Amino acid sequence: MSEAGASEALIAGYRPLPGVYDEMVDAAGRVRPHWTAFVDRLAAEGQASLAQRFNAADRYLKDSGVYYRVYDDPTAGERQWPLSHVPLLISPQDWAAIEAGVIQRAKLIEAVLKDVYSGGRQLSALGLPASLIAGSPDFLRPLVQTDQPSPRQLHLYAVDIGRSPNGQWWVLRDRTQAPSGAGFALENRIALSRAMADVFRGFDVERLAPFFDALRVELASHRETDDAGVCLLTPGPLNETYFEHAYLARYLGLRLVEGIDLLVLGGSVYLRTVGGLRKVRVLLRRIDGDFADPLELNGRSRLGIPGLVQAALRGNVTLANGLGSGLAEARALLGFLPTLAEPLINERLTLPNVATWWCGQPAAREAVLESLGQRVIAPAYSRVAGGIPQGGPWVMPDLDGSQRETLRAAIERRGVDFVGQEMLKLSTMPVWVDGRLEPQPFTFRVFVAATADGYKVMPGGFALVGPHDLGAVSMQRGARSADVWVLSDGPVQQTTLIPSETQIVVRRAAGVLPSRAADNLFWLARYIERAEETLRLVRALAVRVSAERSEGLPGVGGIAELLVRWGAAPTDPHANPALIGLTALARSQFDGAVPALVAAARRAASVTRDRFPADAWRALEDLNAFLLSPETREIAEVAVLEKASTAIRLIAAVTGFQLETMNRQAGWRFVKLGLRIERALATCRFARQFARAQGGSRDELDLLLELNDCHITYRSRYPLGAAFAPVMDLVLLDESNPRSLLFQLSRLKGHVLALPLLPPTNRPSPALAVADRLHAIVSVLDPVKIRHDDILGIENGLMQLSDEISMSYFRVRDPFATEGEAS
Amino acid sequence: MIYDIRQTTSYAYGSFVPFAAHVLRLMPLSNAGLDVLECDMIIDPKPSEYAVTRDFFGNATTHVTLKAPHNRLVVESRSVVQLAVGPLIDPLTTPPWEAVRGAAHATPSLAPRSPAHQIFASKHVPIDAAFLDYAAPLFAPGRPILAAAIDLMTQIHTDFRYDPAATDVMTPARDAFAFRRGVCQDFAHIMIGCLRSLGLAAAYVSGYLRTHPLPGMPRLEGADAMHAWVSVWCGERAGWQDLDPTNAIRAGGGDHVPLAFGRDYSDVSPIDGVIFDSGRHSVSVAVDVTERAEA
Repeated sequence: MSEAGASEALIAGYRPLPGVYDEMVDAAGRVRPHWTAFVDRLAAEGQASLAQRFNAADRYLKDSGVYYRVYDDPTAGERQWPLSHVPLLISPQDWAAIEAGVIQRAKLIEAVLKDVYSGGRQLSALGLPASLIAGSPDFLRPLVQTDQPSPRQLHLYAVDIGRSPNGQWWVLRDRTQAPSGAGFALENRIALSRAMADVFRGFDVERLAPFFDALRVELASHRETDDAGVCLLTPGPLNETYFEHAYLARYLGLRLVEGIDLLVLGGSVYLRTVGGLRKVRVLLRRIDGDFADPLELNGRSRLGIPGLVQAALRGNVTLANGLGSGLAEARALLGFLPTLAEPLINERLTLPNVATWWCGQPAAREAVLESLGQRVIAPAYSRVAGGIPQGGPWVMPDLDGSQRETLRAAIERRGVDFVGQEMLKLSTMPVWVDGRLEPQPFTFRVFVAATADGYKVMPGGFALVGPHDLGAVSMQRGARSADVWVLSDGPVQQTTLIPSETQIVVRRAAGVLPSRAADNLFWLARYIERAEETLRLVRALAVRVSAERSEGLPGVGGIAELLVRWGAAPTDPHANPALIGLTALARSQFDGAVPALVAAARRAASVTRDRFPADAWRALEDLNAFLLSPETREIAEVAVLEKASTAIRLIAAVTGFQLETMNRQAGWRFVKLGLRIERALATCRFARQFARAQGGSRDELDLLLELNDCHITYRSRYPLGAAFAPVMDLVLLDESNPRSLLFQLSRLKGHVLALPLLPPTNRPSPALAVADRLHAIVSVLDPVKIRHDDILGIENGLMQLSDEISMSYFRVRDPFATEGEAS
Repeated sequence: MIYDIRQTTSYAYGSFVPFAAHVLRLMPLSNAGLDVLECDMIIDPKPSEYAVTRDFFGNATTHVTLKAPHNRLVVESRSVVQLAVGPLIDPLTTPPWEAVRGAAHATPSLAPRSPAHQIFASKHVPIDAAFLDYAAPLFAPGRPILAAAIDLMTQIHTDFRYDPAATDVMTPARDAFAFRRGVCQDFAHIMIGCLRSLGLAAAYVSGYLRTHPLPGMPRLEGADAMHAWVSVWCGERAGWQDLDPTNAIRAGGGDHVPLAFGRDYSDVSPIDGVIFDSGRHSVSVAVDVTERAEA
């Protein structure tokens, strides 16, 4: 088939909906000029190859762990990011108009916000009804400052636009609170460009990287050299877009923090770090403004920072965006922006917004009520403020007579709560469905960053595309997202999404590590190591019970006893050892069982996603999935050995990635500390269980060597077989054995020594004295005379070491890290 | 009239609180009809940070931070205020309620006392169909706003029982409405909810009542603690008119000393705080408002 023939075949079944603009083909069914090269390229690729490439993109997103959270379905939890593989192509001419239009709009909204938060004098003078502003739950009154100019409100702004049947782009919604999606746009682009690198290269598509560079430079311009850096304030892992927060933090080099990591003292914001308090001068805010300060805003918030409002008012912290910026998301404002443009920014808006009438004014209310049947009625403000009736938006043609009358009465009584909007028929773009292209309606989110260099618009963004036409296409309702390619007239400079070297100042000083992140990394390592030690026990047990007479075999009873004592299986005198092994491997209801330990590790890792290597996360997910799979949960006792061995291999992948790829700064130290403490504890417990000076069995000593992974070394040194003193020497005291107790203690000492000194007097943590003491005690132990009480003393010391590390570095509720001692 | 006002609020914590941040709204501010002659506050233990500002609505707010561990907090505020008592406006001379509603929705003023702030749902006061059904029959077309509001106040006083055991500061207005009982805070929230559900502007006022009634007068409910009532916007000319649904009286007659003004309790709560502690705590409040013999 000729190339033209293939292209015709590709779009042969593609039928735009009547009366709707389609992005790819015109009303006569001809491919629009800026799409032809792309359609030809897709056609030339052939169906099978396309399917393969699209799968590769999906695989990339899955492997990167890109997800979002679905709120109304708690059982669904995290859902993989759904990518619609065909990008939206925007012609250079269209883009120029969009870019100019959204910059104008950003300027206008900034002017509106500035005036509102300095008392609203300009808007009052223009006769704007004050209730229009006062009705917004995001109008945060404590932020109003009439005696000084308000700082910049809008640093990152997004606009949802859509195209109407006549080809005109319209603004549907403004996103000014804490716009999400820039990170997802980046991931979409990376996924597609990996899967279709060669296709991509053939087109002059504007790159996204310069936009993110500009944003990074702008945010960093508000910090100072000695502070904690730019922090991204997230509500935490339960948020819908937490993945994006972690992703952006990592990509832009920001610190991902939650409210609990921050503290306001003397009107300034501080980050609690393992090295004490560090000032924070810039916050990229991803929690709603109202939730940011329980003291002066929403007292019910558990996410905020008490005193943040005062810090912001005093100008001690730059908030991006300003706490009250969500105000501009009000639909009510849409109807007024066009008329405010001339007086406020001396321009006429070139990009119109969807026709909107706020029913708080008598004339607009009458107009809406007269044409009620053809309108969409929506809440006037971004959040439903409790108007009667609840809910919305309401598409009037869908309502029955009595519903319409209820709404009519409510609008007549409290018009201030409602807007009427024109119903827009959104344009469609191609979506790949079951091996062919199909037109579906979409909205397009455009991002704007305010910088010292003027407004920068991300040339791209993401499109939300879904099978149903409504103004409210939403990820929450099963839409997919598509990449947006802004085509360039000329060749595009080949910049990469990886930051260029010239922009990065080389810094070797230890980074700032938030206390909570350190805490999570420490426990993550402890859980992983404990899971591994438990698996070693399960494997050793499985090896022994697979022999025919299980009960009589030496060691079996001891292993079962340890597993029960570790909480991996219930205390049941009649339980047979094989069942105990199975329970420890596959039953998540016991806290000490492997699935529960891995789940705990996963939780700790999930809140430090910005610091946790992506490969290690993937390995942890694999391990978790393996343990939770039906094949693992429903295994027969005979399969325990094989499954335990597989799980040990999977754990090795986690620890391998984690240790290899984490850079050796403070975070890595805490991982190592957790791992060493847990391994030392396990070694002690194994030794107490399986080594007895008198009357002990040689088989049990063999088991101890096996658990300690040193039987080969032992055999090469002592050909006569296991005996108490040499086994104790190798397992506990031989520093050349990387699983020995002394090896752990000497490493622990080194790591504790490298931890930050404690402010304000710069003294070392008490943990150092504990680590020193333990190391000294064990160094001089005589293997012949070791008693169980000695080992028990070491175990207690290890737990004390863990406590001291926690007290010195993790206690987030203690704000005295710098000043307490002095008072 | 000159009043001596004294309030002592004491918190006792179950364990030592290492750190606390508070916002206090316990100092009256001079405004129309009220002159603050003296004002003073003692906080024990002594806070390490202390700043006095005004909030959006013009209330005096004190921001304090306590950095030393403490297991109790006592705030004692004292003030001397002079209350100017003039004749109360005749309810029948106020404009029809629909006209007042239109004016409240249309005003361009975003100033602190603009009615625009007081017509929407707020944290403690929802817009609710039950409120609407309860109030609507009293608001006949063309009825003067203040007359209708007084009817509403009287109806609430008749239908609801004053019962300190029924609710606490966190009880939602909807629940108190369903129970038909509560304290001054609930009465005020319910009345505000009714007025706002009709589209009218109504605000929350916290303050004090004289502790000892004048000879021959009944002792008012709420006199031994802080009190709260409602301010209804009655148009540009009559402005804000204060009504006390707990006692079914107008609150401009000299018995009521206003302290703070806002949308609901959350805007005026006398002591807001975030303490870094998980233990239990108890609180006690003692209020004394005495009229000073004229010199």
